[in-house]
Parts: sequence; C-alpha cells; structure tokens
Amino acid sequence: MTAVIQAVLNGAMMGAMYGLTALGLTLIFGVMKVVNFAHGSLLMVGMFSAYWLIKLTGMHPYLALLVVPPLLYFFGYFMQDLLIKPVFRAERQVREPLTVIIVTTGVWYVLDNLALMLFGAEYRTVRTAITGTSFTLGDIIVSIPKFSGFVISILTAVGLALFMKKTRTGKALQATSLDREAANLMGIDQYRIYNHAFGIGTAIAGIAGCVIIPFYYVYPSVGVVFDIRAFIIVVLGGLGSIQGAMIGGVIVGLIESVFSQFMPSTWTEAIIYAIFLVILFVKPSGLFGHKQDW
Amino acid sequence: MSRKQLDAILLVLAALVSFGLPLVVQSPTYLQILILLFFYAYLTTAWNLVGGFAGVLPMGHAVFVGIGAYTSTVLTLQYGISPWIGMLVGGVIAALVGVLIGKPTFRMRGAYFALCTIAFAEGFRVMIENIDMLGPIKLNGPRGLLIPLKGDSFWNYQFMHKEPYYYIILVMLVLVLALTWFISRSRMGYYLAAGGEEPEAAEALGINVARYKLMAMALSSFLTALAGTFYAQLMLYFYPKGLLGLDLSFEIAFIALIGGRGTIAGPLIGALALRPLNEFTRIYLSDQLPGLHLVIFGTILILVMLYQPKGLTPTLARLYDRLAAKITKPEAAGQGGAR
Repeated sequence: MTAVIQAVLNGAMMGAMYGLTALGLTLIFGVMKVVNFAHGSLLMVGMFSAYWLIKLTGMHPYLALLVVPPLLYFFGYFMQDLLIKPVFRAERQVREPLTVIIVTTGVWYVLDNLALMLFGAEYRTVRTAITGTSFTLGDIIVSIPKFSGFVISILTAVGLALFMKKTRTGKALQATSLDREAANLMGIDQYRIYNHAFGIGTAIAGIAGCVIIPFYYVYPSVGVVFDIRAFIIVVLGGLGSIQGAMIGGVIVGLIESVFSQFMPSTWTEAIIYAIFLVILFVKPSGLFGHKQDW
Repeated sequence: MSRKQLDAILLVLAALVSFGLPLVVQSPTYLQILILLFFYAYLTTAWNLVGGFAGVLPMGHAVFVGIGAYTSTVLTLQYGISPWIGMLVGGVIAALVGVLIGKPTFRMRGAYFALCTIAFAEGFRVMIENIDMLGPIKLNGPRGLLIPLKGDSFWNYQFMHKEPYYYIILVMLVLVLALTWFISRSRMGYYLAAGGEEPEAAEALGINVARYKLMAMALSSFLTALAGTFYAQLMLYFYPKGLLGLDLSFEIAFIALIGGRGTIAGPLIGALALRPLNEFTRIYLSDQLPGLHLVIFGTILILVMLYQPKGLTPTLARLYDRLAAKITKPEAAGQGGAR
C-alpha cells in the first residue's frame, strides 16, 4: 500500500512538472494556433542556462528563477519576431499555417545540435544545496526538489491564469486566441501579442528548466523526452487550456509512475500513446478544449 | 522550336541521364547516395498524395515504411516467401492501417492531425520495440531483423551490386510520378484539391471529401510500404529506432515542403536539394563537429520556409518558363506554366 501511495505521489509531482512544460506549449497554441516543435529545445536551453548559472556562480537553484525565465522571455520574443512572424505574414489568409511547424522544427534542430557542438553529448548533473534531500510523511518519502518543483508548477499555472484574467495584455492574448480578426479590429496588434505569447510560453519553459535541473540530467536532446509528453498532455487537456495542461500533466505522470510498478517502463510509454489515441478519437477537443479548435 | 518540343527534349534528356548514371558513377558510395535520393523522392511523392493534394500534414509515414519492411522480411525469413510477394502483402496491410488511421483523424484540423499521426507512429514504434514474438511471428524487439545474404538472385530480391537497386528504385519513382501526374489531372485530384482547401464548400457541392481522402491515404500507404520492402532488401538489416523513428517521417515531410507540396515535381526537387546536402555534410562534417550538419540542415529549413514558403518548385517553374520563353518562339511564350 505504501508503495502505491508513494508511486501516486511521485507521479503527481513529476506530472505537475510535465504540465508546466506543456503550459507554455498550450499558451502558444491557444493564441497563435501554432504547435511549437521547438518547445522541448527551449526547455533544454532553460536547463542549460540554469545548469551553468548554478555551476559557475554556485547560487541556490531557485535564485536562477529570477534570471533564466526573463532571459528566455526575450529569446522567445525575438524568435517569434524574426522567424515566425514572416511566415505568418506570408500565409495571412490561412487559419493554421502549417509551414510554421517546419520553421519551429528547424529551430529545434539548430538549438539541439548547437548545444551538442558546444557542450558535447554527455549527461550532466549539477549538485545543488537541495539535491538528494527529502522529508518523510509517515512511511512516505518526499523528495524536496520534486516537491518544490510541484509547488512552483502549480503557482506558475495559477499565476498565468490570473495574468490572463486580470491584466490588459492577458485579456488581449485571450481576445486574439478567440478571434484574430476581431481582436485586430479592436486595435490589438496581432503580431505584438504573438511576441508576448511566445515570450511568455518560452519563459515558462525556462521556469520548468530551473525546477527540473536539481534532480534531472541535462543533455542536448533532453527536450525530446519532454516534447513528446508535452504534445500528448496538451491534446489530452485540450490545446489552449491552462488547467487542461496541468491536469493532463498529472494524469500522464500518474500513469507513468503507477503503471511502472507493475510492468517494464517501456510499456508504460506505449500505454500513454494508446490513451492519447483513445482520447483523440472519443473527444478530439481534449478534456477542457473548445470544439472550434480541432 | 515550340514549348512542347522543348519540354519533350528536356524530359528525354533527364531520362537518359538518370538511366545512364550508373555507367558513369562507379563508386558504390555515390551510387548508394543516388539510390537513397530516389528512395526519398519516391517516399515523398507517395506522401504527397495525402500531404500535398489532400492538404493535411501527416508526420508519421515511417509506420508504413516499417509495415512494408517487416511484412516482407518476416514472410521471407519464416516462410520462405519471395520479398516481391511480401511487398504486395505489406502494401495491402499498410493500406488497411492507413484507412484505419485516416477514418477518425481526417475530421481533425491541421495541428491535431499532425500530432495524432506523430503519436500513432511513436506508439507503433514503442510497440514493435517491446514485442519479441507476436504469436508465431518473430519481430525481435529492439534488435530488429537481419536478412541473411543469399547471393545474386532476382527471386530473393538480393543483388551483389548496387546497379539493380538503382534501377528498381528509379523505375518505382518514375511509375509513382506518372501515377501522381495522372491523379492530379483526374476527378480524384480535383476533388482532393477542393477538399483540402475548402472542405465545407466541397461538401456542399456534394463531394464526399472524406471518401476521397481515405482513398488517397490507402494509396499513399500502399505505395509507401513498397518502399519499405525495398529499403529492407537494400540494407538487409533494420531495427525499430532507425526505421520507425520520427526522423524518417519528418524528413519525408521536409522534402515535400522544401520542394513544394502538392506539386508533382516538388518531391523530386526537394530530394535533390536536401539529400545530397544531408549526405555530404554528414560525411565531411560530423567527424570534426558532431551536430554541425544538423545545424546547417535546420538553418536551411528555416531559410527556405522564410523566403520560399511555398517551396522551391513554383519559383523554379517560373524561372523555367522565362528561360523557355527566350529559347522558343516569342508567340509560344507564356504558355505551359505550372508543371
């Protein structure tokens, strides 16, 4: 019984961090109707930034949260402005410009392999003040880095939801996601909003990078692991939905962790894909998605 | 000289060059590069039936390559059936799977469809990697299948030299190009194009868009599986990660998009542009700086999409038109157009 509770807890904590990874993806899709294939690579950039920051300065891992996400915000902002906007402009009349997928895939290849050239293929870990620490609840062991990652993930999701509801920029983001043309007519500059959406989405990948680094390896293609999961999570939760991303993340984390108690972990991966396909066929809009999005 | 004559001369020239190349190119390495170029052009042309004409973005076609390779190889290894027969069986199985995937997914919009095909392909790969024996069928899990060398034999689809492979894939490519040309000018081609651009409007005109998309998908998966058998017989060894991974699926889509989706020459032009670049940068650069060749590849993808979002073919066709107009008589100028 303890083993099951332990597995559920671990799955939920890891799942919240998957959800955090998916959060940026879902925000960008919601606003721009673009699946950002470079999202995992941006997470990797976040992880490497956090890695070097902690390694070189010896700062506490969570202080990196003050540096890495803003850095990645600008990275995403300019990536959209310089690379994605022109494609969008060229295909203005298309609702979902699919060539953008190719551009983001190109960015994925470039970033992953630049990292490979600069840092080599080896798996790196950084020992931080909290690595390997834990506390116990009865018989259950709770890892402190994972628990803080869980808390930070939830806070980020709540923060993003509040930002979308309360601020002008957030409302403009929502308006653009609902109806691009109408938002444009209301005086919202579509492409500036896209810059913000991409910047915020990338910054969230930066937050994810900071919370994952104390207990996970970083290597150039680490993004792929999270990318595929993030795709599944956003479709599961409904592309564009914030709570969908978090709940979808926890579901995937739970499946992984609980099923791996009973079978080889490669089979849990197959089960995740199977569940994904079943959900797509039964309810293509996902748990919290809107019908118009698919 | 009229425009038609010029087109014909160039076509004959292209045929002579492609059929004569093995007489000039003796190095097995270069011949292999050419074989793979045609192999990718073939795969992309087959993909184009769905990804180009039907206007969706399938990103998981490696599934069908895998079905083709596994079916013919299992039949050969375990039952001694010639790969030529296994190839057709694989094609039929792939067509059925294609319809199975297509039926529920063709209702979806672009991004959902792309993600769904990726998930399907990855799920398929994970399954195959986890299965050593499927009932009586030996799949060998992640280790893949090895075809024992039996020496030159047409029946066994094995040749000691590269030339037969070269001619097989060249003929396959010519046939599939002819088939797409034919389809693009048939009722099915028009219906597909209409359904790809304006599904609602096409439905309103009484076109059963879904049925034509499914037909295109079945045909595309069938043709793709044939190439899977070719690949298995060319390499004599394959394993799930290499054959069923996302790399192959993605590259097919990239070649189509770089060349120009929905055009007949697009896959060929895309393969001509990307494959040599891919091979040579890998051969010459990956030893010194691992990853550099993929940085270059990614950069080129981005640049082409930024400056030629419709792919290279429309621009090249325009260039050719202008050139042809200069060569042919002035009154013939402006005719011909898109190829």
